[in-house]
Amino acid sequence: MADRRWNTLRRAARARLAPFGAVVLLGALVIAVAAPLVSPHDPLKQNLGNALAKPSRVHLLGTDNVGRDVLSRVMWGTRVSLVAGFVSVALALLTGGLLGLAAGYTGGRVDGVLMRLMDAVLSFPALVLALALGAVLGAGLTGVLIALAVVYTPTFARLMRGQVLSITAREYVDAARALGASGWRVAWHHVLPNATAPMVVQGSLSVAFAILAEASLSFLGLGIQPPAASWGSMINAGRGYLQQAPWIVFGPGTALFVTVIGLNFVGDAVRDALDPRA
Amino acid sequence: MGRLVLRRLGATIPVLLLVTAGVFSLLHLTPGDPIDAMMAESVDATVKETLRRQLGLDQPIPVQYAAWMKRLLHGDLGRSIRNGEPVLESVGRRIRPSLELTALAMTISLVIAFPVGILSAYRHNGPVDRVGTSFALFGICMPNFLLALLLIFVFGVTLRWLPISGYLDPLEEGWSGLRSLVLPAVTLGLALAAVVTRTLRSSMLEALTEDYVRTARAKGLSEWAVLRGHVLRNALIPVVTVLGLQLGTLIGGAVITEYVFALPGVGRLVVDAVFARDYPLVQGVVLLIALGFIASNLLVDLLYGLIDPRLRRG
Repeated sequence: MADRRWNTLRRAARARLAPFGAVVLLGALVIAVAAPLVSPHDPLKQNLGNALAKPSRVHLLGTDNVGRDVLSRVMWGTRVSLVAGFVSVALALLTGGLLGLAAGYTGGRVDGVLMRLMDAVLSFPALVLALALGAVLGAGLTGVLIALAVVYTPTFARLMRGQVLSITAREYVDAARALGASGWRVAWHHVLPNATAPMVVQGSLSVAFAILAEASLSFLGLGIQPPAASWGSMINAGRGYLQQAPWIVFGPGTALFVTVIGLNFVGDAVRDALDPRA
Repeated sequence: MGRLVLRRLGATIPVLLLVTAGVFSLLHLTPGDPIDAMMAESVDATVKETLRRQLGLDQPIPVQYAAWMKRLLHGDLGRSIRNGEPVLESVGRRIRPSLELTALAMTISLVIAFPVGILSAYRHNGPVDRVGTSFALFGICMPNFLLALLLIFVFGVTLRWLPISGYLDPLEEGWSGLRSLVLPAVTLGLALAAVVTRTLRSSMLEALTEDYVRTARAKGLSEWAVLRGHVLRNALIPVVTVLGLQLGTLIGGAVITEYVFALPGVGRLVVDAVFARDYPLVQGVVLLIALGFIASNLLVDLLYGLIDPRLRRG
C-alpha cells in the first residue's frame, strides 16, 4: 500500500520535473541547430592576447587557454553531444531491434547464436569496449558513433526478443496466422507495432547515457578531434587550467550535467506515458 | 549449490569463445592495414615487414586465429609492440593500484549507501530521505570525470587538503598512500553509492510493507531485530543484483578515474595503449578485463545462492 502511494508521489514529482526536462531538451536542440546564429563568437577564433579571460559581458563564460570564447564553443559542442546521443541510440535501436526480432521470431539455433553474441558483447565493460572499438576504428565522430551503437545494441536486442516471445504467444497472433497471414506479415503488422513502446522507452532512457559516454570518450581523446569543440574534449583541455580558469572546465561541465539531467526527466516522463505499469 | 556452479560455468563457455573471437578480430577491424595503423608512415618498410611477420599478419586469418588461441591457452596474451613487455607482466605491475582503488571505492559507497538507504526507507519522506533522493539523482547524472575535476578543484586546488594526482601504495607508504587514493576513491565511489542507495531504499520500502514484517512486529520482536533479520535480509537481493550490474560501470569509471588522477593502474594502461596504437597490448588488456568481469559476474550469481537458499536448488 505504502509502495503504491510512493509511486503516485514519485509520478507527481516527475510530472513536475518533466517540463524542466522538456525545456532543457528543446533548448539544447535549438542551440544545436542554430549554433552558427546564436553563438556570440567564432568557436575556433583564437586570441592569444585575451587568453584565460574571466567571464565578462563580452565573453559570458570567459575564454580558454588560446583565447577562444567558451560559451560559443559550448554551443557548438551541443551539436556533437546531441548527434552522438541520438544517432548512436537510433543505430543501436535499429540493429538491436532487427536482431531481437530475428532471434525471437526464428528461435532455435539462430536465436541461440544471436543471443550468445549479445552476451559476449555484454561481457565487456561498456566503456572499455567503446574505447577499444573507438581506437581501432580511428578517432573521429563516426568511430565513436559505431562504438557506442555496438555497446548499446544488446540491450535493445534482448528487450525486443523478450517482447517478440511474449507477443507471439498471444491470441491475436494465432488468429492472424489462422487467417493465413504470412510469417513476415505477422512480424511486420502484428508483432512489431506491439513491441515498439518498450523499445522507445528504453531508447529515450539510453540517450542520456550515450551522451555521457560520448563525453567520456572525447574526454579521453577519442571522438571529434580538436580544434572542433565537444564538451568532453573541452573539459579535458581545461584540466590544466583548473586553478587560473575553472570556467573552461565548468562551462561545458554544467552544460553536460544539465542536459543529462533534463534527458533523464524526459526519459522518465516517456516511460510513465507509455508504460503504465512502471 | 554445486549444480548451480556447474550450470553457470557451462553457460559461460560459448560466451568465452565469442569474447576471444571478438578480441582477436579487433586488430582486423582497423580500416586499412593494421600495421600502417600502428606505425607512422615514416617507419622503414623492412621494420614493418618484421612486425607483420612477428604478429603473423602475413598468414591467412583462420591460421592466425588458431595460433593466437593456442598461445592464449598457454597463458600467452601477447606482448606490447612498443616495449616488448608481455601483457601479463604489464598488467601484473599495474593491478595493485586498480584493485586498491576499486576496493576503497566500493567500501566508501557501501558506507554511505547503507545508512542513507536504510534511514531513507525507514523514515520515508523525512529529511534524510529527501536529501538522499536528490543525492542519488546527482550521483547518477554526474559524469565521473567532471566529479573528479570538481573534487580536485575544491579539495586539491582551492583548499589544498589532498593531493590531486600521483600514487603512493597505501600498503607500503601507509597514511600518505591512503591520502593519495582518497579523491580517486571518492570519485569512483559516489556514483556507485547513489545507485546502491536508490536500490536499497526502494527494496526496503517494499519489504517493510510485507506481511512477515507485521507478523514479526506482532510477535514482539524489537524494531532492530525486525529491520536486521526480516527487512534488510530480504531487501539485499536487489542490492546484490545492482552491484553486479554496476561492476562494468565501476571498471569503466576506474579507467577514467585513473586517467584523471594519473594513477598507474590497469585502466591507465588501456588508455595509454590506445593512444600508443599498441593494438596487441590493447587486445591483451581488454581480454583480461573482460575475463575479470565475467568471473566477477559469476561470483555475483553464486552470491545469490548464499543470500537466498531457495536459489540453491533449481
